[in-house]
Amino acid sequence: MSWHEWALGGVLVSPFLVAALVALLLTVGLRLLLRLTGLGRWIWHEALFDLALFVIVLGGVVAAMGRL
Amino acid sequence: MKTSLRIAVTLAMVALAVVAGYGLWHHYMVAPWTRDARIRADIVTLAPDVSGRVMELRVRDNQHVEQGEVLMVIDPERYQAALDEARAIVEVRTQEVRLREHEASRRTRLGQSISEEQRENAQIAAAIARSQLRQAQAEVRLAELNLQRTQVHAPRAGQVTNLRLAQGNHVAAGQAVMALVADGSFYVQAYFEETKLPGIRVGDPVRIWPMSTGAPLDGVVDSISQGITDPNARPDSQLLADVDPTFDWVRLAQRIPVRIRFSAQPDGQRLSAGMTASVQVLDAGQERP
Repeated sequence: MSWHEWALGGVLVSPFLVAALVALLLTVGLRLLLRLTGLGRWIWHEALFDLALFVIVLGGVVAAMGRL
Repeated sequence: MKTSLRIAVTLAMVALAVVAGYGLWHHYMVAPWTRDARIRADIVTLAPDVSGRVMELRVRDNQHVEQGEVLMVIDPERYQAALDEARAIVEVRTQEVRLREHEASRRTRLGQSISEEQRENAQIAAAIARSQLRQAQAEVRLAELNLQRTQVHAPRAGQVTNLRLAQGNHVAAGQAVMALVADGSFYVQAYFEETKLPGIRVGDPVRIWPMSTGAPLDGVVDSISQGITDPNARPDSQLLADVDPTFDWVRLAQRIPVRIRFSAQPDGQRLSAGMTASVQVLDAGQERP
């Protein structure tokens, strides 16, 4: 996986911060989608599910960014 | 039935999350990459060999110079005078040698009419005069060298950096006045956490992202430093170890310098020594296309 800083106007941040923000937005989007499609009924423990979903999305985002 | 399915779905998600989390952990804590790397180069600090006023400064700041090029000329008058003096002394000593040798040979020829002691003294005086001549000749060589050294040459090709010297300044022998960044000497010093060192071997391929350029550069692990400073090993005024009595519950992995050489010296890229870079060690044999 390739890594370098994200330059935001001279301020360089760890790519992990960007990955976490993107993952958070994606998780919120996915969660809304689940609720709208009615699949949300199949969730047993919402908080646990949300955490798991976030970690999975984060892992995916980090892996995807590494391929850029 | 429905409840157990709901539980199963959620637990499956958690299991997946554990896998993803492990991957993240591995990537951030174990994979050998660092954002803490600096581009470095050989810096040649130039000090004049003789003291004096700078008569002529032939370089500008950030100018590229070739090896052997004259960078500045120090006022040669004093060294010229010293050379003239040394040559005059050689002349005097040469005449003195002539005189003494003449004396000695005449006294040898006189035979028994003068004492043995006088003959011997004359020969010793001639020998002393010859040694003094050699001494004077050595001083001429020294004066010549000093005169030559009033012209300061570039020891290596490179770029003059941070030139603060002005024409007319007085410079002292042995005191650095100019720095050269030697051509083609760029390398990367990457500071890896101790915990990541087991994944790094000398010769491993490396990818380098200088902060200034978009495109990555290729490199190779050149060597791994064998030592960093230990703050507890600093001796006090009595040479006893000054050991810090506090120790933290939480401690950070220290960083070890790893030297990385560029596979090809980056010519087209505008690199400066001191720039920051990110570095990743690629596994040998697993290099990505």
